Amino acid sequence: MLSGTHKGGIFIPNPYPVKSIRLYQAALPDKVVLPLNERMTEKAIPCVSVGDRVLTGQLIADNEDINSVPIHATISGHVISIDEQPIPHKSGLNTQCITIESDGKDEWVEGNITNKDFLQSDPNSLIELIHRAGIVGMGGAGFPTHLKLGLAQNCNTLIVNGTECEPGIMCDDALMQNYPREIIRGVEIMLHICGAERAIIAVENDKPEAFNSLLLYNYNDKISIEYVPTKFTSGSEKMLIKGLLNIEIPSGGFAIDEGVICQNIATVKSIFDAVIEGKALVSRIVTVTGDGVSMPSNYEVRLGSSFEHIVSKSKPNNGNHSIRMGGMMMGIDVETTDLPIGKISNCIFVNNKVQKEAPKECIRCGTCNQVCPVELLPQQLYWYSKSENTDKAVEYNLLDCIECACCSYVCPSHIPLVNYYSFAKALHFKKIEEQRKTDIARERFEYREYRLERNKIERAEMMEAKKKAIKEKMAKEKSQKDKISAAIERVNKNKKNNIDA
Amino acid sequence: MLDSVFIFSSLALLLGLILGYAAIKFKVSGNPLVEQIDAILPQTQCAQCDYPGCRPYAEAIASGEAQINQCPPGGQDGVDALADLLNIETMELNSEHGETKPKRVAVVDEEVCIGCTLCIQACPVDAFVGSTKVMTSVIADECTGCDLCLPVCPVDCIDMVEVKPTMRNFVPNISEVVNA
Amino acid sequence: MHSNTLNTNQIMRQVIYSLVLGVGASFYFFGWGVLMQIVLGVVTALAAESAFLRLRNMPISPAISDGSAVLTAILLAVSIPSIAPWWVIVVGVSFAIIFGKQIYGGLGNNPFNPAMLGYAFLLISYPLQMTTWASDFLSFGVSIDTVFNLSSVDTLTGATKLDEVKTQISLGSKLIDIDLNSASQTLINIGFLVGGLYLLIRRIIFWQIPVAFISGVFLTATFLYLIDDKVYLSPHLHLMLGATMLGAFFIATDPVSSSTTPNGRLIYGFLIGLLVVIIRVFGGYPDGVAFAVLLMNIAVPLIDSYTKPRAFGK
Repeated sequence: MLSGTHKGGIFIPNPYPVKSIRLYQAALPDKVVLPLNERMTEKAIPCVSVGDRVLTGQLIADNEDINSVPIHATISGHVISIDEQPIPHKSGLNTQCITIESDGKDEWVEGNITNKDFLQSDPNSLIELIHRAGIVGMGGAGFPTHLKLGLAQNCNTLIVNGTECEPGIMCDDALMQNYPREIIRGVEIMLHICGAERAIIAVENDKPEAFNSLLLYNYNDKISIEYVPTKFTSGSEKMLIKGLLNIEIPSGGFAIDEGVICQNIATVKSIFDAVIEGKALVSRIVTVTGDGVSMPSNYEVRLGSSFEHIVSKSKPNNGNHSIRMGGMMMGIDVETTDLPIGKISNCIFVNNKVQKEAPKECIRCGTCNQVCPVELLPQQLYWYSKSENTDKAVEYNLLDCIECACCSYVCPSHIPLVNYYSFAKALHFKKIEEQRKTDIARERFEYREYRLERNKIERAEMMEAKKKAIKEKMAKEKSQKDKISAAIERVNKNKKNNIDA
Repeated sequence: MLDSVFIFSSLALLLGLILGYAAIKFKVSGNPLVEQIDAILPQTQCAQCDYPGCRPYAEAIASGEAQINQCPPGGQDGVDALADLLNIETMELNSEHGETKPKRVAVVDEEVCIGCTLCIQACPVDAFVGSTKVMTSVIADECTGCDLCLPVCPVDCIDMVEVKPTMRNFVPNISEVVNA
Repeated sequence: MHSNTLNTNQIMRQVIYSLVLGVGASFYFFGWGVLMQIVLGVVTALAAESAFLRLRNMPISPAISDGSAVLTAILLAVSIPSIAPWWVIVVGVSFAIIFGKQIYGGLGNNPFNPAMLGYAFLLISYPLQMTTWASDFLSFGVSIDTVFNLSSVDTLTGATKLDEVKTQISLGSKLIDIDLNSASQTLINIGFLVGGLYLLIRRIIFWQIPVAFISGVFLTATFLYLIDDKVYLSPHLHLMLGATMLGAFFIATDPVSSSTTPNGRLIYGFLIGLLVVIIRVFGGYPDGVAFAVLLMNIAVPLIDSYTKPRAFGK
C-alpha cells in the first residue's frame, strides 16, 4: 500500500476554513480584459479590430505558432480597445490585451463542433478541438493542454489532480462537488485521447464531500478515485506521481517519459465543455477568501472580469487590504483588485494588511532543508542566490526548485527564501542569454575582420594581376612599335640606297 | 652549518629542475589569458576603450598596455570580473571612456533611409541587412548597441532604442527581493 | 504566510532558559562567582556588540535583541573558573563577540563558534587564571573579593578532576590511585543534559549532533578503555566530567558554525566527540571541547559539500 505521499512538504492548517463550500454564478461583467498571452504561451495576434462586435466564444486572437492558444471573447459586446493593460504578474509589467464591453446579451457564437460521440473520434482531432478551445492548464501553470496531450503516445496512466493542496483555496473542491458528472465524462474523453489504461483522480483527504460526489457518479472501471494525505505540495505534479505511483520523474524530464499524464481537474472539466458542448474556454471557478472578506465563497465567473467584480460580492470589510492571486504559498501579491481574472487565476486572497515581520539573519538552522519536497538544500541556495553566484546555485539544483515556499514558511528568521530563488533563476537565464549574444557578437566581429582582410588581399591580388596585364600589353605594344620602326628604317634605307644607285 | 647550506642548495637545485621540466613539458601554446579576458568582455565592439574591438583590448590588457577599467558596456561588474581574473585590485570604471548605458539596439527609420550603405560598413558585427539604393534594416538580435553607426548616417535616421524587459526575462533588483 | 513556530529570537531565548539547570548546579557547588561571571559577561557582550555595530553603521536594536550575544556570553562564562578575575571574562567575551562574530558580518556569518574562540584565546593567553578553579562553595562576599581582586583571599582552589587525572597519570600513577568521584562535575553535566533534552523535545536543536557527539566520546573512550583501563578513563567518566554535556547540547549545536546537512551533522558531531577524548588523553590541555569544536568548524564546508543529499529526480 503506497503512502500516497512524498518526503518533505509540510502540513499547513487551513487558515480560512469554511463550514460549507459555496459556489455562485457570478453576474455578467460590464467589461472584460483578455490578455493575448498568459504564463507559458506565445502571444496571439488579434483578428478583430476596435469597434467590432463579437459574440461569446468567438475567436478574437490566434497564432500559427504551436505554442500559442487562441483567445476567445468571454462575453458578447464591442471591442473597445487593444492595448497594454496591467495583468496579475509578479513583474508588475503590462501586456497587450483586448478589452470588450458587454452588451448584456451574452449571445453565443454558433457553429461550434461538438463531439458527443467522442469515442468514435480520432484522438488527434479531439486534441485539435481542445487547442481551438483555448484550453491551458488551469491549476496555475497555464501550459497549453494540446501540447501536453499531443505527446501522449505512450501514456499508460492518467492522473487527474483534484488535490488542491494550497491551504484556503476551494475552487476545485467546489468544482468536484458541483460538476462530478462532467468531470467523469471529461476523464473518459482524456482516456480516449491518451490511450491510457487507467485514470486516478487524486483528492486530498480533507475533502470527503468532493470525494463522495465523484464516487457517486463514477461508473467507469478504468477510473479510480483516491485519497492522498493532506499536505502542502502533495498536488505538485512530480510529488503527486511519486506519491500515487512511486515513480520519480528524473530532473529535467517530463511525466510522459514515464507514461504518465497529469492534468488539473478544472482543465478536465474544460475539456468536457469543449468536446461535448462545443464551448471554448470562457469561464472558470475562482475562490475569494481571506480574513478581509466575511463571506469566503467560490464564483463561476467569465474570464477577463476584474477581481473587484467578485471580491465585492464576498462582503469585504473596510480597511486596508493586501491582495494576493494564487495561493498563500505560491501566489503573487498584487496592488489592486482592478486586474483581470485569467485562465490560471484560481484564487483571490483579500487579507487585512498586517506588518510583515522583518527578516533576520540566517542562522543556518537547517529547518528549510527538512521541508523541501524536492530534497534540495534551500539554505545553500539562499547564500548563493544572495551573492548572485548563479553557477554554484545551479550546481546545487536551483533549477529543480518548484518555488513552493515551504522553506520560507518554516524559516525562523522569516527570510523570504523563495524570492531569492526566483530572482536567481531569472538572473541565471539572463546570464545565459547574454552569454549567447556575446558569443554571436564575437563570432560576427571575427568573421567581419576576416572578410575585410580577405577583401584586401583579393583586391591586392587583382591589382597585381591588372598591373601585370598592362605591363605585358605595353611590352607587346613596344615590341610591335619597335618592329614597325625597324621596318620603316629598312624601307628608308632601301629608298636611300635606290636613289644613290 | 655547512650541511644546512648543502641541504638548501640541493633542494633549490632539485625544485628548479622540476620547474624547468614542467615549463617545457606542460607548455601552453597561444596566450590563454587573452582568451580569458576576451570571454569577460561584452563583445560590443564599440571601440570606446580606444581599441578597435574587444579582442585588441583584451590583448592590450594581457600585455599590460591598457588598464582594466576602460570598458563602459561591461560596467563596473566587468571591471570587477577582470580584476578577479587577473588577481589585482579592482578599480572604478574610467568615466573618460564613456558611461554604462542600459542595453540598446539600433533601429532604422525606414521612411528616411536612403540606402547609402555607410552604416553597413561601419557596423563591427555586421548586424545590418541591406544594399546600395535599398533600404537598410537592423538585425535586432545581433545589434550590440555600440553606437558606431550613428555618426556615419548622412540622414541621421538611426535611433538607439532601449530594450525593455518583458514578462519572460524580467529580473527584479536584489533589494526588491528582500522586501517582497 | 508563515508557520507560527518559534522565530530566531525566541529560539535564542529558549536556549538561554534551558541553561538554567546546569548553571544552577554550578552555583550550588561553586557559589556566587558563577553568577558574577555571567553578569559581567552579558554586560560586556552587549556593550561590545553595540560598540562594534555603531562602528559598522548598522542598527543596534535588532541585533542586540536577538539574544545571541547574551547566549555567547553565558556559554563562555560557565566554561571558565568561577573565581577568574573580572578582566578575564571581559577580555574573553569582547574577543569572542568582536573577533568571533562581528568582524565576519554578525549573526549567521561566523565560521567559528564565538564562545569557543573566546575560550581558546583565554586559555592560551592566561593559562594560570584559566586553570585555577574554586573547589568549594564561595559566599557572595568572598566571590566579590576574589573576582574583583579587592583583597588577597585565601580561597580554596584546585584543579578540575580531569586536570588532576591528567597530571597524576603523567606522573605515573594509575587510575585506581586517584579519587575519581566528582559529584559537582557529574551533577553539573546532568543539569546541562536535562536542559539539552528539553531543547531536543522542543525541536530547537536537532538530534544528530548531540547523539553523534556523545557516541563519539563514548566510542573513543571505550576503545581506549578496552586497551588499558588502568590509564584511560572509563567512557562513563568521560561523559560526566568536564564540559561534555555542555558541549554536546549547547556548544557543538550552535547552528551557525556547525554542519548544515543531516548526514554532515552526524559526521561533525562524531568527530568532535572523538577529538575531545583524543585531546583530553593525548593533548596538552585537560579538556578538549573548545579545540575540538574549533577544529571541526574549519572542516564544516568540506563536510557539507560531501554530504549533499540526493535531490528529487536526480
